[in-house]
Amino acid sequence: MQIRIKCSCSEESCQEWAIVELQGAVEIQPSFQNSLHNLKIGQLCRPSSPENYTFTVGYHELTGSKVPLKKPFLVLKKKKTTNVEQQSSESDSPGAELEVVGIIRHRILFKTRPKALISKPQPVVKKKATATCSSAAIK
Amino acid sequence: MEQPHPSCRGAEAVLNLQSGSSISVAYHPLFGPHDDLILLELDEKLLPHILQQRVTLRGQPDEDAVLCTPSKTYGIKFVGNSNSVFLIPPSDHSILCDHNGKGHIQQASASVIKVAPGSMELVEVAPRLDKLRLLLSENPYRSGEVLQFEDVDGMEKCIAGLYTWDDLVDKVQASDEELRTGLIAFSAVEIDGYWRIVDEEYMGKLLMALFPSSVLNDWSLNALNENEVVRVLVQDGYPQKLAHHCLSVYGSKVGEGLNGSCLWSLDERRVCVHFAREILRGGKRKMESLMEEWRHKIPEGMQASFDMLEGEVLTEKLGVDLWVRAFSVSALPLTPAERFSILFKERSKWEWKDLQPYIRDLKVPGLSLEGLLLKYTRRIQPTLDAEPIFSAR
Repeated sequence: MQIRIKCSCSEESCQEWAIVELQGAVEIQPSFQNSLHNLKIGQLCRPSSPENYTFTVGYHELTGSKVPLKKPFLVLKKKKTTNVEQQSSESDSPGAELEVVGIIRHRILFKTRPKALISKPQPVVKKKATATCSSAAIK
Repeated sequence: MEQPHPSCRGAEAVLNLQSGSSISVAYHPLFGPHDDLILLELDEKLLPHILQQRVTLRGQPDEDAVLCTPSKTYGIKFVGNSNSVFLIPPSDHSILCDHNGKGHIQQASASVIKVAPGSMELVEVAPRLDKLRLLLSENPYRSGEVLQFEDVDGMEKCIAGLYTWDDLVDKVQASDEELRTGLIAFSAVEIDGYWRIVDEEYMGKLLMALFPSSVLNDWSLNALNENEVVRVLVQDGYPQKLAHHCLSVYGSKVGEGLNGSCLWSLDERRVCVHFAREILRGGKRKMESLMEEWRHKIPEGMQASFDMLEGEVLTEKLGVDLWVRAFSVSALPLTPAERFSILFKERSKWEWKDLQPYIRDLKVPGLSLEGLLLKYTRRIQPTLDAEPIFSAR
C-alpha cells in the first residue's frame, strides 16, 4: 500500500513551529500532575546584549542559544480517514494519511546544566511554577 | 486579564523574541502525548518534493515502511532523544483546534503541545527489486497463453500472479523511477495492462523466427526496420507487442528508416548469450563441445567469444577437461548479504576476475564495491604479486 504525504502549505509558506530543548526532564510536582494544561513551565528570556537565551524554570536558570537545524524537521500529522472522505480523494491511501502541518528550522537549545537561583525570582513561583528541572544528565 | 499580552504568541513569539524581552512558556490547553504528531528530519533538497506532494510511504503491513520520492527510496528510522524537546506550534494552529474548538482558550504564552521523544530520520536505501522479480516470475508469459485467454471469454480473466503498474507500486518498495528501471532490467513488458516477463524459451522462438525472415528478405541485422519485422512476426502468429519486445530485448534502436519506422540493430552479445544459455539449459558441457555447438547456432555475421559469457557461466577443471555450466548473475538476489551468501555457497573461494562479474551490478547507497568486499568477504593475498582470493567472512 502507499500513503501519500499531503501538504497544503504552498511553496515557502509552511508554518514554522518552534522547539525549546533542554537536557534532562522537567518534573511536575505531584499536586499538579492532573492539571498541567495551561500550567506555566518557565520564562524564556532574551537578555539584551549577547545572542543568548535564558530559560527560568522554578529556581533554576538555563542558558542557551538559538540554533539553526542542520536539516529541517517536518511536523507530520497522522490522520485516520473514514471511507466516506476517502472516495473523493485519491483511492490509493487506505485508512491513513499523513499531512505536513509545519516545519521546524530552529531550536532554542539549552545544553548546559541549570544554575540555581539564590534569590526568589519574581512572583513566577507563586503562580504554580512548580516545575523543577532535575535529572540533568552529565554527558 | 491582569497581564496584557502582545498579539504575537506561539512559535512566532519564541522564534522572534526580541532582545531584552521575555515570554512565558506553558503547557498547551491540549498538551498530551499526541502520538499522531511526528517529526521527520528531512534534507533540504527533498523539501520541494514534499511541498509538491510527490512523496509517498510504501510498504505492506509486515514490511518496514520506506519513503519514496519520484526517483529515490529511503528507509525510515526512529532516533530517540533523551533531552526534553518541547514542541511549540504557531499560535493560530488550526490543526490542533479541530477536536471541539477548545484550542483557542486564551494563550498567555508560548504553549507546548507535546514533548517529542525523538524524530524520524531518512537513510537512502536500494529499492527492493528482488520482490519485483519475485512477483514478475509468478506468472511469466508463455506460448499458448493467448488460447487460454480466449477460453474464458466474457468472464473476468484469471489474474493470479498478474500485476498492473498500480499493483506493483502498491507492493514493491521502490520509487517510480527505480521501479521503471527495474522493469526494464528484468526485460518486462506490459501486456494487456499487466507487467510480465516473457518465458525465455518463448523469446528464443521469436528470435528464431526472425532470422530466417532476415535472410529471406535480405535484412541487415544492424538495421532492421521495425515495421517490417513486426509485420512478418505477426504473420507468423506472434502478438505484435511481443514482436516489438523481441527487438528491444535483443537489440537497440539505432535510428529512423525511410518511412518513419524505427531501425534496430541486434546486439551481438545479447543474441550470442541467448544461444549459450539455451545450450547450457540442458546441463554442463565440455568447453570444446559448448563452443562448437554455440558457433553453429548463432546467426551468420555474428562472432561468439567466450568472454561474452562473463557473469553467465562458471568453469571448472575435471581431470584434463574444462567444464562449463550456467550460473547467471541475473538470477542472483540483489541484496548484498544474500548475494554473497549464495556466491560463497557456490564456491568457497573466488578469484577476483571470477567474482567481479557477479558483484559489479550491486548498488548500495553510500557503499562502494570496495566497501561491500570489506563487509562481506575476507581477502587473502599470499604474496604481493599474487591474485587476491576472496572467501566468506
